[in-house]
Amino acid sequence: MKDFLRNNGVLILIIAVLLSLIVAVSSALLGGFADPFSNLLGVLTTPIRSGINSVVTWAEDRYTAMFRQSELEAEYEQLKKDYAQLEQTLREAQQAIEENERYRNLLGLKEARPELEFTEATVTATVTAVGATNWDSTLTISQGSSAGLEVNQAVIDEYGNLVGLIDEVGANWARVMTVIDSDLELGGLVARTDSTALLEGNFELMAQGKLRLSYLPENSEFMTGDQVLTSGLSGLYPAGLVVGYIEEVRTDPSGMTRYAVVTPEADLQNLRQVFVITNFAATQ
Amino acid sequence: MTRHDFLIKWGVYTLALLLVWVLEVYVLARFPLFGIRPVLLPLAAAAVAVLEGASGGAGFGLGIGLLSCAVYPDANGGFVLLFALSGLAAGLLAQYVLRQDFLGCLLCSALSLAALDAVRILSRFFLREEALDALLCLAGREIGISLLFTPLVYLLFLWVFRRVPKRTHF
Repeated sequence: MKDFLRNNGVLILIIAVLLSLIVAVSSALLGGFADPFSNLLGVLTTPIRSGINSVVTWAEDRYTAMFRQSELEAEYEQLKKDYAQLEQTLREAQQAIEENERYRNLLGLKEARPELEFTEATVTATVTAVGATNWDSTLTISQGSSAGLEVNQAVIDEYGNLVGLIDEVGANWARVMTVIDSDLELGGLVARTDSTALLEGNFELMAQGKLRLSYLPENSEFMTGDQVLTSGLSGLYPAGLVVGYIEEVRTDPSGMTRYAVVTPEADLQNLRQVFVITNFAATQ
Repeated sequence: MTRHDFLIKWGVYTLALLLVWVLEVYVLARFPLFGIRPVLLPLAAAAVAVLEGASGGAGFGLGIGLLSCAVYPDANGGFVLLFALSGLAAGLLAQYVLRQDFLGCLLCSALSLAALDAVRILSRFFLREEALDALLCLAGREIGISLLFTPLVYLLFLWVFRRVPKRTHF
């Protein structure tokens, strides 16, 4: 201990305390924006992240090509059939959308209620790193404040499923809190029953890649497979984004309330590209 | 040790740390073992502290704390102090209680990981009211899996330690 004190150890600890305070205070003051040190490191390491990500992805692809050829061929054939079926469904849906649009035009709904218009602006961002700890579920993406990203913007995959919300923004990177992170809380809506509830991450469920739908209305019945969407009631996030499906309904340990376990629709483990909704018109 | 030797030595330690960081964040994070991502930064802090003593351990821990603030989403300024104190404690333990060898490093690594997870458990238990058994279960698995990498991290820093003069002055 004497050696430690003699060798400027106290000075090191004082510097550690000061740096702790600087980082903590700057984090608190910046309110969601990365502190200068984190931001600088994020900026400097973004190309490295992208490079490493490319190498690892390339290695994964080669491995898959070498050892799973026949399996992939069977999957490919199945996917072609599924794709044809989906195309048919899409054509039918497109016809329904156009028909609906015509009805709305006929009723003059758009002219009468312009606030119902729903527009989304997206920013393409590549997933460059998955979460670094076992205690959170996060992703790092390759767009930041320079692309107009802000804290709490919704992030979706290419199918429009909710991936998560932006938690921290740097100049050319952003950290996304996924839908299963234990810190997440947002309004949910069960599509079949039109019931609203609270979607929230849960530490135990996070390890299983799931989240919970809490404060379920007492008079509603839920079924396995019920689709859960964002409610958009707060106006912070767009309504109607698919979050996932109800897997089961459980009773709280207290026996007083029920909650549903929700399996996310987005494939959080294999995301390569996501889209950030930077603007939308709130629905009513 | 000349100033030049000193700078070279700690420069190489920093490069070794960057290697450990890349391994943890960009490689092991994509391929979890039994569903757990190994945590290597506390192992690096403990390894250098065991080899270099309390002063070197505290200084290197301080640097790792700063790095962790940028790497770990749940890190805040307190991690700088936590890693500096972990390095200091590991250095003192290795110098005066244990031995400055692999077994000493293994024990100090376990203590560093336990300190880090204790902070996470306490914050989640009191601030978010998460289930304590789930938190302890994750911490136990994380410490166990992470300790499997102690030989690798220790050998890396031992290699650096042996390539330069042993005396260190801060």
